[in-house]
Amino acid sequence: MTDDLTPVPDSEAMALDYALGALDREARLTAQLRLARDPAFRAEVEGWQATLAPLDDEVAAVPPPSSLWDRIAAETMPSGAPRFVPAAPVRPSLWSSLGLWRGLAMASVAAVAVLLAVRPAPAPPSQLLVATLASDTGAALLTATYDASRGAVILTPAGKAQADGRTPELWVIEGDNPPRSLGTIDIGSPEAHAIPAERLKGLKPGSTLAISLEPPGGSKTGGPTGPVVATGKLTGI
Amino acid sequence: MSGAANLIAWLNLAAAGDAPAFRCLYDATSAKLFGIILRILHERGEAEDVLQEVYTTVWRKAAEFDASRASPITWMATIARNRAIDRLRSRASRPSAPIEAAAEVRDERATAEDVMVAGDEARRVVAALAQLDARHAAAIRSTYFEGLTYEALAERDGVPVGTLKSWVRRGLIRMKGELAA
Repeated sequence: MTDDLTPVPDSEAMALDYALGALDREARLTAQLRLARDPAFRAEVEGWQATLAPLDDEVAAVPPPSSLWDRIAAETMPSGAPRFVPAAPVRPSLWSSLGLWRGLAMASVAAVAVLLAVRPAPAPPSQLLVATLASDTGAALLTATYDASRGAVILTPAGKAQADGRTPELWVIEGDNPPRSLGTIDIGSPEAHAIPAERLKGLKPGSTLAISLEPPGGSKTGGPTGPVVATGKLTGI
Repeated sequence: MSGAANLIAWLNLAAAGDAPAFRCLYDATSAKLFGIILRILHERGEAEDVLQEVYTTVWRKAAEFDASRASPITWMATIARNRAIDRLRSRASRPSAPIEAAAEVRDERATAEDVMVAGDEARRVVAALAQLDARHAAAIRSTYFEGLTYEALAERDGVPVGTLKSWVRRGLIRMKGELAA
């Protein structure tokens, strides 16, 4: 290298390279993983994107063929209906994903994942709540059973699917409240892991469970950010 | 192109499931986004597939748009660029451009006409780029507009990869400095 200046720091170089679009496939993937979990890096990338974006004005606009809108409309608004309307009003960002992710299914599932049981006594009267979580095509992906007396949610996979390197995260939607995370689920291994007891509190018949695919480690925003692959309502048995 | 305020309003409506607003958004932005994608991918059919993915993503993620972090058109154009580049990178060993396009190396210097068409912000960026060594500015343009990797561009232009990276990174940092000045 002939330049005599000090080298550009790695993190800045990666942000700049990514925003510019100069990274090869592997390096790009590394940057994308980092984007999902490093807000400072993301801010740096967004800064470069904003700096470069005015250059887009130089690119000649090309009208796409009119048939393209029909394809998009068919995918986003199936069967001419405005869109999927949930039974209970919930935050649009979650439900807006529902109509879109047909075909995406849950991870190739190991036998059973048990989310365990941290709830201390005294146990409430034993009650089992069950939800079948299905994709919006109706394919059942797993059954979630909530045992209030044990404070445990037990997930039993009903189908095969692909998580695509992302982390499945379980959410509960109660009434008008925004989706609340019950934590990420490791369905790749049968290992049990804990959901803090206070998070399980308030699960009741009528609550909706949903699973979204999130960046590794789970959603950073407090709400679902990835595609919702399955939903179901808890009912008492 | 409609103003940013319109785009923001349509995005917000789309986030709430408003299909007509989404259509307005599409009509106002699809030609720009298609141009960006086509410039990177060259193949129309593939570019159309990517454009479809982009608007599906926009519809799905409209609620995530944050006007304090990006302008609406930058947000959408970034999704388009990223999808196009992801697609380009996932091509096995095909060349990134048809043979005939590879034969004539594009002159990535902005023409006077480009600059006239561009908005104020674009003029400032172009002016800042013009302060750089012409080869450095051209390398920045080729990576940005064509989605070329450093490796591909280094090979095309016969420059060592390390040198090229250094041109581009230092050039951009200088350019950003000019813009902030």
